This record gives sequence, structure tokens and C-alpha cells, in this order.
Amino acid sequence: METETTLTLERATVLADQRALVERAQCGDASAHRALYEAHVDRIYRLTFRITGREELARELTQDTFVRAFAGIAAFRKESAFGTWLHSIAVSVTLNELKRRKRQSAREAPLEDALTIARAAPDSDPVLRERVAEAVAALPAGCRAVFMMHDAEGLTHEEIAAALGVTTGTSKAQLSRGRAKLRVALAEFAEEWNR
Amino acid sequence: MTDKPHDLTLDFGDDDDVVLPSDPTFDAWIAREATSLNAPPTAPRLEMWKAIEAAQKTLADASAERVSGVHPLKRIRWFVPAAIAAALLLGIGIDRYTLRLGRPDDRAAAHTLVAAAPSDPSKLYRLAAVQTLSQAEALLTAYRAGGRAGESVAATQQLGVWGREVLSSTRLLMDSPAGDDPQLRTLLHDLELVLAQIIRLSGSPVDTTDRQLIDRAMRDHDLLPRIQTAVPAGVAGTASDD
Repeated sequence: METETTLTLERATVLADQRALVERAQCGDASAHRALYEAHVDRIYRLTFRITGREELARELTQDTFVRAFAGIAAFRKESAFGTWLHSIAVSVTLNELKRRKRQSAREAPLEDALTIARAAPDSDPVLRERVAEAVAALPAGCRAVFMMHDAEGLTHEEIAAALGVTTGTSKAQLSRGRAKLRVALAEFAEEWNR
Repeated sequence: MTDKPHDLTLDFGDDDDVVLPSDPTFDAWIAREATSLNAPPTAPRLEMWKAIEAAQKTLADASAERVSGVHPLKRIRWFVPAAIAAALLLGIGIDRYTLRLGRPDDRAAAHTLVAAAPSDPSKLYRLAAVQTLSQAEALLTAYRAGGRAGESVAATQQLGVWGREVLSSTRLLMDSPAGDDPQLRTLLHDLELVLAQIIRLSGSPVDTTDRQLIDRAMRDHDLLPRIQTAVPAGVAGTASDD
């Protein structure tokens, strides 16, 4: 984990600027809100899209994340980086919304079943593509979130652990479990990774 | 209080304690494949920022009670949810004291609290249920009227603010002894789902698909008729159906 003594000068400057922005935002400075938004929106949007696979829903969840963050920013105690705190809100908002939709679709026609089906790149084998997407969608929600955050979005285990409120050990364990489940689900395509 | 994630319960699967073997070759392959899963498009930054700004303004206006034009009950609807919450919390407080009556020191405190409350706590919950459902009926009626009249973003924002108040009361009711009634609980659960959908419209242009989903949910669950059946005629705050 980074400490003040191991930070590069550039990173330390960025962090100090972020802290100053957060403090201004906590005082109600609207321009600070905008600056924080511009600094973090891409990562948050990417994260919500990775998990949901839907543009409109990702947009709504991103908006929800920032509205909640700015509404509660006075209570932000700076124990973690602002971006990490935003991630935690985004994951919470996203997974709770998916849970709600799953409950609702269990009562109605499955209009939203495709919601969590991941979409793979169009240039790969279409059958494999579909099976990978289905296998990822079949993972338990927490496991899937860890997998997408790490392997798809490139977050570190420290970032994932902070966002989900778990230990880095749990993040690593769940990634390992997710990959093992996917390997079993995709066993018929074993020659793809054993070439 | 810390900066921990709030209200997140993670599902890691029923077999969470089972150790599965790993395969580094597969792990490397799936990590490469994963980068193309749900590859995100460019974020619509400006559009999202405008929606965020609008939502922030709505929250600020709601706090200052500056909302208007949604429904003639705009003053009452701010008072009633607070009153409902107070009534429910008082009722819950009564229950907790009666459970502790076995301890001599609690009896005097329990008597004082019970003496200040209605003699029949169930009346409190029934009153809270009627008030909540009356507000819900008024909101759902306003929502339907907005769809026919051609709804503005501002109107959806105001519905969203109102919806949050009613949703809060609905959830309090579900957690109270009133929620033990199976019929009422089912009604409150159906109402909760529709309210959450209406709240999600807040601040954005109303998408036809979103509205169709909400209309369908209301129709499939027969929501308004069930609410109107549960609310006695002539209760204050009841909006007339159109």
C-alpha cells in the first residue's frame, strides 16, 4: 500500500489536489463537485457497465453514485481515497439494483434476464463468445463482481477489497473461485487455452 | 462512522467454503477474454452531469420545501410521512418495552410510555397503514395523470422526491407489526417495487419503455384497486381516481 514516503512526487501532487477538491466539495463548492465528477466518471461508468452490460442502466447507476456521494460527502472521513469510496458506492448501488431487478423479474415475465449477460467482443468465435458470457453471468453476484472488477476492469485486490468492504484475501479467493467455476463451465473449449 | 460501503450484502454462492483447484493457463486466458466482456462505450459525461445537477437541485429544493405543482397536498405530504414515521417508531418502542417487563426497573418506564400511547397499539399501526396507503394512492394517481398529460423532467423529479417519502413510510410499515398481516405485507411489497421504479424516473426524460414497465407492474398487481380497497372512503389525503 502506498504511504506518503513511497509516493512519487507526481502521485503525491495528484492526491493532494484530490484532497483539496474533496474539502472544497464538503464546503459546498459546486465547481469542486464538477471537478471530482470529471476526474472519476469514466472509471465509475466503466465499472457499472462492466457489471450490468447495459448503457442506460450504467448511466443511471453512475448518476445515482455521484448524487449519493455528493449528498453524503460531508460524512466522508478520508480514510480511503475518494475514488475508492466512490467505487464502493457504485458497487453497492449496482449490486443492490441487480438484486431488486432479479426479485422483480422472478415475479413478472423475465424481461430483464438479459440484463446481466456479459457481451463479448464481436471478433471472437461466436459460440465461445456466447458461452463465456453465459458462464460469467451464471457466477454468484459477488463472485462475478470481483471477477469483472479485476480481470475486466483491471482493479487491484486492494481497490476491490476497499470497494466491497472485504479483505484482500477474500478478493483473491473469490477471483480464484470465479475462475475455477468458469473453467468447469467452459471445459468443452479447453483446447482454446491449452494451445 | 467510517467510509465503509453501505447496505451491501454480497452473494459469493452457497459453496463458498469449497476449495477449487486453479489452472494458471486458464486463468491467463480468461483474464485476456475478460477485457472484451461488456467493453464499455464512451461515457456520456455531459448528459450524466446534467442529470446529476438536476437531481442535486431537486434534493436541495425538497429540503427547503420549495417543490410545487405536483399535487394539492404538497404541504401535507411533507408532514404526514414524518408523522407516520413517528407513530411507527413509537409503536416499536412500545413493543420493546413490553418485552422487557420481566425486569422490575423496566416496569415503571414501561407504564409511563404505554400511558402516553393509545390504549390499543394496533390502532396506531392501522392508522399508519391507512395514511401511507392514502399517500401512495395520491402519488400513483398523479403519476398516471402525468403520463396522459405529457410529463416534464421537472415533474418526474418532483414525483421522485414524493416517491422517496412514501417509499420510506412503506418500508417502515413492512418492518413494523403491521407487516405481519400477510395480505398487507404483499400489498406493501408490490407497492415498494412500483415506487422504486417511479423514483428511478426522477430527473430523466421519461422513457416509453420505463413507463410501460411501471404501468404493467401496476396493472399486473392490480395495485391501485387494492390500495383503494384497503383505504376507507373519506380518509384525509385520499385523491380521487380519474
